[in-house]
Amino acid sequence: MIQTLRRVFLTLLFLSVSTSNTFAADDAEGAQEPVIDVMGTVADHDYFKVPKFINGGKLYLPRIFYWETAEGEAKLSAYASTKKALASDEFIETDEGAIVPAGGGSIKVDLSITSHLVYFWLGMGLAVILTIMAASRYKKGIGRDVEPKGAMQNIFEVLFVFIRDDVARDNIDAHKADRYVPFLFTMFMGISFMNLFGLLPWAATATADLTVTATLALVTFVITQFSGTKDHWAHVFWFPGVPGWVRFILTPVEILGLFTKPFALAIRLFANMLSGKIMIIAILGLVFIFADLFGAGAGFGVGIFSVSLTVVLYALKVFVGLLQAYIFTLLSAVFIGMAAEDHHHDEEGYHTEHIAEEVSA
Amino acid sequence: MTFLLAGGGGLLSFNTGFAIWILVSLIIFLLVMMKYAVPPIMTALTDREQNIKESLEAAEKAIAKAEKISKDNEKALREAEAKAQQIRKEAVDEAELIRVERINKAKEEADQIIEQAKATIEQEKKQALDELRSEVAKLAVKSASIIIDSELDNEKNNKLVDKFLTDLSKN
Repeated sequence: MIQTLRRVFLTLLFLSVSTSNTFAADDAEGAQEPVIDVMGTVADHDYFKVPKFINGGKLYLPRIFYWETAEGEAKLSAYASTKKALASDEFIETDEGAIVPAGGGSIKVDLSITSHLVYFWLGMGLAVILTIMAASRYKKGIGRDVEPKGAMQNIFEVLFVFIRDDVARDNIDAHKADRYVPFLFTMFMGISFMNLFGLLPWAATATADLTVTATLALVTFVITQFSGTKDHWAHVFWFPGVPGWVRFILTPVEILGLFTKPFALAIRLFANMLSGKIMIIAILGLVFIFADLFGAGAGFGVGIFSVSLTVVLYALKVFVGLLQAYIFTLLSAVFIGMAAEDHHHDEEGYHTEHIAEEVSA
Repeated sequence: MTFLLAGGGGLLSFNTGFAIWILVSLIIFLLVMMKYAVPPIMTALTDREQNIKESLEAAEKAIAKAEKISKDNEKALREAEAKAQQIRKEAVDEAELIRVERINKAKEEADQIIEQAKATIEQEKKQALDELRSEVAKLAVKSASIIIDSELDNEKNNKLVDKFLTDLSKN
């Protein structure tokens, strides 16, 4: 938790410094683009980035707006791209680059397809497709009646059994654990693929987006609360066997705890993926900054250092990507397990350990 | 719902429309996984684990059974051997018994035969002796009568000779 807070703090610090610098540069040199746009690279876009020789490197994605005209009329409009939206004369672009309705009014919900959404679909979709492919193999009897065949099925089975045994069954009561395996496996595979897709050239990391991680954590939160047993709720709102006045402290802490858990999940994944991405871009960006400041020679010189460091960081990112997917899944399982647990142990011991846990969190 | 923590960039902002997309697609992905993708794998793995478990148990049972059978066989073999030995011993004993019996019987028969023979011989001898005695008596009387002739009483002479012969046979 402390580590996560520190990461968030550092990210905030980094953002505040970098944005003020960008604005300062804009003021001094007018519309000139900065040498390397760190935030632009990690932020979400209305286009799908591809190699330069295809359509100039950008495949524009559809824009969908649920918006209100100046007269208060609600409308749902869809356009093939931002340019089409602007060409329709319904919307104009402000100086900051935001899209607003032309005749006043406001966009209520921006349902545009963005690059992060596409990568979310790719990551999750790949997870689902691979699982369905594996399922069809198992249906045929390979892996059921005989041993699993081929590298793909074996790797798949290692991951699947790992999630089932070491994540679900270890943390959730035995008779309930299997119900959560599909959810945990989807989360693990999806987040892993999203994290790893972020390492590909031109690609974006969908999990380095707070909206994505917060939504994932929200789903975990909802599932956790719906699997809560009577015991769980009793321990949140009313502590059997605790002096009355202590409840005034414990109940708010417990209720707060319900929300800090998914919050920590969202922030942890988001900050880890974003920090790695920013670090790689910043270190590679040194090449261009040095080339801009001191000429191409300096750029090459720094390049040796930057590229070798980036290689190491990439290896680390692969590890971190899988690790964070595992941590997200494991903690989801732990939270669900805590909520779904049927308590059999003595109340005294439970409370001391539970309070200690809350304090450390 | 948009909160800008960083003031610019929009990196830490929460985009509602985007979140709706993510939520809806995530729910669809989860439903597909729950309904179609994962259950066959779960059942397949459970079936296989069950199969392996059962096979192992069955194999263990079979091994135990085989061991028991081989032990039984060994025991039976040993018993059979013991029995065979016993039978052989009994047979040898019986044979010995029969042999001894036969020998005894043969000896008895032989003894009996000898006895009979002896008896017959004795009888023959007795008869012969009797005959001999009467013959000798006749001869002696005849010879004595010839020698002494009328002087002698026939009866007294016979008595005298008999007595003499009885004494003779006793010696």
